Amino acid sequence: MRAVYAIAKKELRAYFLAPMAYVVIAAFLLLNGFLFSLITTALSRPGATSTRPMALFFGGTLFFWIFIIVVVPVITMKLGAEESKTGTMETLLTAPVSDVEVVLGKYAGAMGLYVAAWIPTLLYVWMLKGYSAVDMGPVWSGYLGVLLVGLFFTAVGLFVSFASRNQLVAAMEGFAILLLLLLVSLLSFFVSAPLWKGILEYLDLYSLVQTFARGAVDTRGIVYTLSGAGFFLALSYQALQARRLR
Amino acid sequence: MIEVKELGRTFGSTRAVDNISFSIAKGDIVGFLGPNGAGKTTTLRMITGYLPPTSGEVAIEGYRASENGKALRRLIGYLPESNPLYEEMRVREYLAFRAELKEVRRSRRKAEVGEVLEKCDIAEVSNKLIGNCSKGYRQRVGLADALLGSPPVLILDEPTVGLDPAQIVHTRQLIKNLSVDHTVILSTHILPEIEAICSRTLIIHKGRLLFDGSVEELGASLDAGQSLILSLDADAEAAKDLLLAVSGVESVTFLDERDGGPRFSVVPAEGEDARRAIFKACASSDIAILEMSPRRVSLEDAFISITTSDESEVVQ
Repeated sequence: MRAVYAIAKKELRAYFLAPMAYVVIAAFLLLNGFLFSLITTALSRPGATSTRPMALFFGGTLFFWIFIIVVVPVITMKLGAEESKTGTMETLLTAPVSDVEVVLGKYAGAMGLYVAAWIPTLLYVWMLKGYSAVDMGPVWSGYLGVLLVGLFFTAVGLFVSFASRNQLVAAMEGFAILLLLLLVSLLSFFVSAPLWKGILEYLDLYSLVQTFARGAVDTRGIVYTLSGAGFFLALSYQALQARRLR
Repeated sequence: MIEVKELGRTFGSTRAVDNISFSIAKGDIVGFLGPNGAGKTTTLRMITGYLPPTSGEVAIEGYRASENGKALRRLIGYLPESNPLYEEMRVREYLAFRAELKEVRRSRRKAEVGEVLEKCDIAEVSNKLIGNCSKGYRQRVGLADALLGSPPVLILDEPTVGLDPAQIVHTRQLIKNLSVDHTVILSTHILPEIEAICSRTLIIHKGRLLFDGSVEELGASLDAGQSLILSLDADAEAAKDLLLAVSGVESVTFLDERDGGPRFSVVPAEGEDARRAIFKACASSDIAILEMSPRRVSLEDAFISITTSDESEVVQ
């Protein structure tokens, strides 16, 4: 686990040494700020249906999802692809480090940046508190939902980055897979067979985050996102092993 | 210490390494020699455990990559061929990261990084970004990384590539000093390097091991013949006649006219040392000898003859 910590620290530092972290965080905050102001403006109008902007902020709009499926692949694209391309994968894998430690270390590093991008949004909550009472329970569970989705999506991004030598290709593949995972949410509207509807509702990330944002911590959602993350981490491990065989 | 048994590696339909076996004792400096594309890097990668072999196996102190890769990698300091480094990190920061990966204890880390910086003569660039370092410095950063944690085995893939002549001498001396408490395997296609550093050389060509022995044996393995280079202060025709008349001289070949006299290559008869006779003959004819030197069979000659010959058995 010492190596996991060392690699995670190095990855996180690499984000902040390059413009990457600042670009990601700045763009993310700019867009989220815009979204937040849209939501508060809409809810301030007379006749607004909700009084809880944060519940809408977390997963309640299409923007939220677009930001996430773009930002996560951008964060993860370099993790494996860059090392394969520059050859540093060779020095990394010939150090006394196991492949599992490499996967987990890079995963933790990327999650670090994901969390760092979300932390400033706590300011929105603080600002809201200045104007009205905010029930913090749903806010925290909303953040938990955001974290779970991040764990899942980052694992997807990590896998495609290990499977590719090209960062851009990795980012686009990551985006495509995440888009598909989201489209599953839409499918449940079109299917009527109860069995399929049940399955699709279970995989519905859109309502998953919304449920969390309303304050309900749903074990089903926790199980789905964490097992998704586990599955893609296992695939990342396999991709890394396959690299050795080439 | 290092046992390589019937190691083979195939890429698609190409046989990059073909059934190589050798063993290396503790404290040896072994030079891995071969033309580009001979399979040196592939073999070294298999020894480090980075690349799994398609056949055969490698064991270092009994550890095998297939069973206990991490324990095997702990024993190895490796400088890969292209010397890949993280460009965006500073030299000291990079080495500290590597020391952490190599399980150097936290309390020792700073001191150890300082030691390798000193050893490899890169202390003055320790705060520079690796991406801004010259090729020579980068190469030495890679070498410093290999030394971290003081692993018993050092595997250096072309360690002197990209260095200037002074740095090459320095690096060779460094590697030689390291062999006191490390076993070193280095690869190169530069013959004098082998001559300067290694106690043993393995020649590999087209994936096969063609020669395994000391550098002296390599020279001797070629049918040398003690030919001489001779330059005389005389007319070329006369000098040639004089030399041919000396007993024990088999043939004389005119090479060129240089430094005020003709130069010849003189081949003595089998088992004869014609140097004294030549001296006496020249003295009695009152001709000054401007140069007389044994013509060494260069390692280049030996190497070329080994790699171009078709025989596949190992010359021991």
